[in-house]
Amino acid sequence: MGVSEIDTVICETVIAAQPETVFAFFTEPELYTRWMGARARLDPRPGGTYAVDINQVALARGTFLEVIPHSRVVFTFGWEGDDQPLGPGASTVEVTLTPIAAGTHVRLVHRGLRVSEVRDQHREGWQLYLGRLGASISGGDPGPDPNANPPREE
Amino acid sequence: MAILRLVRDREYPSGEIAARFPDVTGPAISQHLRVLREAGLVEERRSGTRRLYRARPEGLAELRALLRDFWDEGLAQLKDAAEDQQRRKGSGRGRQ
Repeated sequence: MGVSEIDTVICETVIAAQPETVFAFFTEPELYTRWMGARARLDPRPGGTYAVDINQVALARGTFLEVIPHSRVVFTFGWEGDDQPLGPGASTVEVTLTPIAAGTHVRLVHRGLRVSEVRDQHREGWQLYLGRLGASISGGDPGPDPNANPPREE
Repeated sequence: MAILRLVRDREYPSGEIAARFPDVTGPAISQHLRVLREAGLVEERRSGTRRLYRARPEGLAELRALLRDFWDEGLAQLKDAAEDQQRRKGSGRGRQ
């Protein structure tokens, strides 16, 4: 229902790998940081910690709500910091992995983005964080393993 | 970053914005305004030699777009990493 809700962002992709392989990239810290963030602390069970440091200032924090091996991961998501509209655990990210002939279909639904909060005086904090995030990802080395390949300095 | 609060409800000329922040240098204010404008959070209008700024309500949609980009980029990297991993442990075609 309501896939185009204003508080929701949906991203999908197809990965040529088995669901169990993809699943591990959401639950094992050393694999998680191969696609997102510099450091990760993950305790993938309901109530367990989700903590990913995208960089030194962008600290994603939440709690795992649901973990079904190889098919589904749900965690709350927000940013650590005093001026964050989306505080730790404020929104929810649902990841669904579906086996298909080509490998795995990944559907990521990020919901609970508070429109009213984003609209208020806090929004610049959110915006700047996202800007930094975008810069850290798209501006960084897109190599799959930032730990094995230290960031290049210009 | 109080600039955004200032221009949220009405348009201000750049000079007046700078005057509200006596502790911040003019170039620094200009830099902030440029960042905010590039982020789509404020819009600039020129009137004669003056530059006027106000918050853009459309910024919200762009926030979602940024978040979508964030996850899209993430998933693209996830794809690369997971496919690489799959090849490694794949049927005899791994690197080992």
